[in-house]
Amino acid sequence: MNREKDMANYAVVFFVFISALLLLFPSTRVAQTARVIASYSLYPSLHYGAKYDYFIRNVPENFLNILKIDQENRSLTARIKELEISNKAAESVQEENRRLTAEMGLSRNVPLRGVWARVVNKNPQDWYGAFFINKGARDGITMNSTVVGFENGRAGLAGRVFEVYPDISKVLLITNGVSSVICSLPGANFEGLAEGRGTWLLKVNYIPEGSDIAEGMELVTSPGGLLFPQGLPVGRVQKVHPKESFMNFITADVAPAITINALKEVYIVKKDLPPGLQGAAAK
Amino acid sequence: MAIIGDIVLFLLTGLIHWWWTANLSVFGVAPNIIFTAALSAAIIARPAKAIAWCFFLGVYLDLLGSNLFGAYALTYTVMAYVIYMMKRHLDLIGPFSQIIAALTLTLVTMLFYQGLSLALSKINPLQLKAFLVEPFFNAVLAPIVFYFFVQLKKRFNLL
Repeated sequence: MNREKDMANYAVVFFVFISALLLLFPSTRVAQTARVIASYSLYPSLHYGAKYDYFIRNVPENFLNILKIDQENRSLTARIKELEISNKAAESVQEENRRLTAEMGLSRNVPLRGVWARVVNKNPQDWYGAFFINKGARDGITMNSTVVGFENGRAGLAGRVFEVYPDISKVLLITNGVSSVICSLPGANFEGLAEGRGTWLLKVNYIPEGSDIAEGMELVTSPGGLLFPQGLPVGRVQKVHPKESFMNFITADVAPAITINALKEVYIVKKDLPPGLQGAAAK
Repeated sequence: MAIIGDIVLFLLTGLIHWWWTANLSVFGVAPNIIFTAALSAAIIARPAKAIAWCFFLGVYLDLLGSNLFGAYALTYTVMAYVIYMMKRHLDLIGPFSQIIAALTLTLVTMLFYQGLSLALSKINPLQLKAFLVEPFFNAVLAPIVFYFFVQLKKRFNLL
């Protein structure tokens, strides 16, 4: 026991003495540099506030410059990452700006009064059926207002408003299975009914046998339709199906004039229907 | 062979302390694993070895820090001797006594280190949040580190 106590006393005196030596005598250049290397390797930071000058005392200037360059490198790497994110955001804004500018320019050429709205919600389970826009009754949106989209410098029919809330509205797309649009070929003397099928294609029915419809022709909204202003592009004929023996009409597949599921902004046409017809249109 | 095991344990302790403080700090405060290791070693090991262990753990903390070099070494050396004296009068094997010892000794060592730093380099190293929170972190961790060290001593005759 006494031997153990003696050992403890000797040990504490010895190590206290060593500690005091470390404390009282200033660190040599080599020892201090070694300390900074060890410390900086584990915690790569030179921000020690008021202790900084004390920390780097006796350390060669060249070595400190290496540490400062490492710090600069770290901060610049972080800055580059921030700028890359910022650059991506700027590219996105620029692209949106370009698109909106083009659409705004186009909307001036459309002889229809209306308001712009942003597509705010699409349901993946009803991708070709409907979407919400960020304008509602407070912005003058009414039931059955025509919804027009723009793509590649051209306008095209997207659908109609069928639910109106104070600040948002729901748009029934022309590709929806319950949607139908009376359309015609400019200059031709027939009309057909473009019906949605829940996919990206429309199907045009009731085209009289013998009509001069062919692939590539563009269909527009018909003057005979109650809901939509006449002359709006609906789509382009993709395929004309031959007449079945038991039918008097022919049918055709039509690709919408605009890519419906890529729309980000739409133009809502305010069409003042006669009061007596509003109820009929709603039906 | 045991000395190699001690060195490995020392390096492992240092590595865990560095990893924890670098990655798991909560608002800049983390438990002082070196302190809990020093406390456990001081309780478990024979006095001379315990003092040497604490001295080298203190040197390791001095190496990592930016403050007075040798201050932690002196603080932990004195702490090891105080624990050696305490062991003769108190039972430090139980978790509760370790928690109390960790709580009080953390505060005492912080104040001792603060006094040394102010006296010799006129630098105030004490952060209030560390002073208020770290003793509790250390108190929670101390019995766990102690248990781990006891297992190492039983199985590999370390410390």
